[in-house]
Amino acid sequence: MTNMNLYSRGDKFFVRINMVLIALFTISTLYPFIYITAVSFSNGSEAAAGNVVWRPLGFTIGAYERVLSEPLFWSSYVNTFIYTIGGTIVSLIIIIPGAYALSRRQLVGRRFWNLMVAFTMWFNAGLIPFFLNMRDLGLMDSYFGLIIAFACNAFNIILLRNFFEAIPSSFEEAARMDGANEFQVLWKVFVPLSKPAIVTITLFCMVARWNGFFWAMVLLKDEGKIPLQVYLRQVIAELQDDEEFGQSLIDATYSFETVTSSIMVCSIIPVLIFYPFIQKYFNKGIMMGGVKE
Amino acid sequence: MENMQNRMSWLKEHLRNEWQIYVMLAPTIIWFIVFLYKPMYGLQIAFKDYSIFRGVANSPWVGFEHFHTLFGSDQFLRAVKNTFMISMLSLCFGFPMPIILALMFNEITNQVFKKTAQTIVYLPHFISTVIIAGIVITAFSPSAGIVNTFLEWLGFESIYFLIKPEWFRPIFIGSGIWQEAGFSSIVFLAAIAGVSPSLYESAVVDGASRWQMMWKITLPAILPTIIIMLIIRIGNLLEVGFELIILLYQPSTYSTGDVINTLIYRQGLQGAQYDLAAAAGLFNATVAFVLVMTANTISKRYSRTSLW
Amino acid sequence: MAGVELKKIVKKYGNTQVVHGIDLVVEEKEFVVLVGPSGCAKSTTLRMVAGLEEITGGEITIDGRVCNTIAPKDRDVAMVFQNYALYPHLNVYENIAFGLRIRKEKKANIEASVEEVAEILGLTEYLERRPADLSGGQRQRVAMGRAIVRHPKVFLFDEPLSNLDAKLRTQMRAEIKRLHKRLGVTSIYVTHDQVEAMTLADRIVVMQDGRIEQIGTPMELFNNPVNTFVAGFIGSPPMNQIDAEVQKSSTGYFVEIDGAKIKLPKLKELEGAEGKTVVVGLRPEHFELGKVKGLNNLPVELDLVETLGSEALLHAMVANTPFVVKAETNGSIDHLEDISTVSINTDLIKVFDKETGLAMGHPTSTNS
Ligand SMILES: Nc1ncnc2c1ncn2[C@@H]1O[C@H](COP(=O)(O)OP(=O)(O)O)[C@@H](O)[C@H]1O
Ligand SMILES: [Mg+2]
Repeated sequence: MTNMNLYSRGDKFFVRINMVLIALFTISTLYPFIYITAVSFSNGSEAAAGNVVWRPLGFTIGAYERVLSEPLFWSSYVNTFIYTIGGTIVSLIIIIPGAYALSRRQLVGRRFWNLMVAFTMWFNAGLIPFFLNMRDLGLMDSYFGLIIAFACNAFNIILLRNFFEAIPSSFEEAARMDGANEFQVLWKVFVPLSKPAIVTITLFCMVARWNGFFWAMVLLKDEGKIPLQVYLRQVIAELQDDEEFGQSLIDATYSFETVTSSIMVCSIIPVLIFYPFIQKYFNKGIMMGGVKE
Repeated sequence: MENMQNRMSWLKEHLRNEWQIYVMLAPTIIWFIVFLYKPMYGLQIAFKDYSIFRGVANSPWVGFEHFHTLFGSDQFLRAVKNTFMISMLSLCFGFPMPIILALMFNEITNQVFKKTAQTIVYLPHFISTVIIAGIVITAFSPSAGIVNTFLEWLGFESIYFLIKPEWFRPIFIGSGIWQEAGFSSIVFLAAIAGVSPSLYESAVVDGASRWQMMWKITLPAILPTIIIMLIIRIGNLLEVGFELIILLYQPSTYSTGDVINTLIYRQGLQGAQYDLAAAAGLFNATVAFVLVMTANTISKRYSRTSLW
Repeated sequence: MAGVELKKIVKKYGNTQVVHGIDLVVEEKEFVVLVGPSGCAKSTTLRMVAGLEEITGGEITIDGRVCNTIAPKDRDVAMVFQNYALYPHLNVYENIAFGLRIRKEKKANIEASVEEVAEILGLTEYLERRPADLSGGQRQRVAMGRAIVRHPKVFLFDEPLSNLDAKLRTQMRAEIKRLHKRLGVTSIYVTHDQVEAMTLADRIVVMQDGRIEQIGTPMELFNNPVNTFVAGFIGSPPMNQIDAEVQKSSTGYFVEIDGAKIKLPKLKELEGAEGKTVVVGLRPEHFELGKVKGLNNLPVELDLVETLGSEALLHAMVANTPFVVKAETNGSIDHLEDISTVSINTDLIKVFDKETGLAMGHPTSTNS
């Protein structure tokens, strides 16, 4: 099917038009990234005047210097790593054994436990009861609270459980005859056999943690504990309202636009570094487990 | 009686042999109880005059008072309307895009081009909402934004998009499409990959053009996937991305942008009217539940496999 | 002392009973094959011995010890699975060593055991490879290696060869037999392929619908099938079975098939059975070609001759039933094309009761 020489003239025309359209869509997807990068390296007044289109005007790293000299930027950056790595590890520690147990035929009340997990996908109590519960548990304003409260979700558990259920039972039986107990069956057989699914879930967890902001914003009052996304939002909110910041900086090296853009670039860089690795896995039917049982 | 005893001794024996899986299950179940089921218990404050000092259990019942208040409030009715409007518009414009993209990707013969393009269009999915909002705010800013720069080049007046109610929904839905259309196409690409190549080969022998094959072979073949995804989407209709709305809206755009969850956020979390906000949340969750259950029933009937 | 003993074994899944009271004694060092059509509960029976299925009723004894509630790992048995269940993330060495590692054997012991097993199975060169990089036969060997390395009291095999192509299957069959001779471990082997059963077994257990039809050595089953089912199952091609009415003459009992008189052997059960319909069993191998004096001659109209090489199968319809004769080719099949009569010795003819399917005059039935 990929031999272009076999295509008729009409087909070739169709393929070309298609390619142009895809190229346009791709460029418009990419453009905002180019745009904020260009803005972040531009002179403040050029950016404030809306002159930046493709490349930095009046190249400067002034915005970065200002951002990087802010202690809160660094502490929030470190916090994001803490939430991302800590949160992902805690998630896996809960999800992997849980999904395994839910996939076992001998589990008494298996239907009930599975339904209990799945039900939370259909109905949830909403923001307020969740928030009040966090407060009652004394988990406000703590690293542990934010990490544990989002450690688990029905989707990830069901995804992994479905994967475990698809593993031929002879693998488990062979291990069992060799004397493996449940923990050994899980750790030495199921986990290695489910590498794609586990990597997928790890990536889901990491991406969610890296990008999560709403509950961090609601639950964390101590500025020293906020992650990067909350910090970015604060900066946007503060500077946007700060008339003087925009006005008084004619000919300044940085402006509202360049400062926020440079924080955004700093926040995207780790995602970009990690992205090729992510992509390798999500192509292999990442959505499968969620869509069909 | 004897039956009961038999069962108990069986259970004892079972637990002695299989205790390990229960140890594995425990953290998950405890987590679900503490973080998801306990709040469901807390949902009763929707029917109570909740005070922090008395707590959930000891606050006095007020029946449906909060719901009366809600349905008598223009703000709430507006939020309900906005929720439906925004999700319907997202569905109409957002749902077909990934399908179109998948069909188009399928027609690309140059593998390097295809891989590169896919890599790029999947990327926004992994970018945080705050950054999306930051980009939007920068790009649509009245003086500094690239959008207004273009408008001025073309000879139009510049527009302060972010305070104009009529622009809120297009911007919100547009950024949603920008972020998710590419990534959502993966499901459809996977479905297309499952179509037997012999169908295309026999069509080529019959002299079909690429365009005809797309309409006559590919599209019908992925129709079941399309329908399933549509049902899921309808089931989740109320799940508008309120996090992005919180970041983008302003008092001047509440009229078109304020949805149920943002209202709950303002009244409950910012305004500390917990009971009223919980009632709004319960309304939202109940409608969502009905939608999901209906979608699941339809899907069961359609595909004989339930979604979960 | 017995290797494995099954007493009145019953298995139910919910309300459906799939094993109906099986009795079987497997002697020490014996190689017993369970054979029967797919779905007859061979695997279920084997898995109850392994401890992978709960036993609904009856008792299983391994090496003199009742095992009903003993966990699989403590039964001292090893099993080879149909899909081998090799761990794809481990290399051959680690796959074989898996069970020993789980049992926390000493490192030196593990190494020595794995190497010994690899030597026996000819896997020494492949120890570093992953299962994905092995051929079907090699994977099969690794699966056996994993079972052997633990020196279990009993080997259990569940259709271990059915994922291999025909040629490899023959080869591995011989290897399993050699291995058993060398190690002398009690083995229970499940297959639906009667050729495998015949070639491997010390004794064969023929099963149908969760019951044992007959137990015996391959030759016992071949020569004296206890009923029409076993007669049709053992032997390839299977025994020709023709319905006919018993008649009496001065010299004894006979039947008429397509106009030919076929004398039946002297059997107690035939006494006074004139007019009764019986099933006459004629092995394809037992015929001589052409009219032979002193034998029963049967006219046949051949419609097909299949060449196998040194032998050929002659197909015909006899008494409206498909009928097969196996003949030597002598390097050519020309002489077979115009055969019109085949002959068989009365002593080789089997007679079965049409109603019960049981063989008449069967020497002390081993059936339970
Ligand atoms: N887990 C099970 N639940 C219900 N029925 C089963 C189960 N496993 C096997 N069976 C039934 O038991 C019978 C015997 O199965 P099996 O032992 O696998 O047969 P064989 O190995 O001889 O082909 C079959 O009819 C099968 O459908
Ligand atoms: Mg079987």
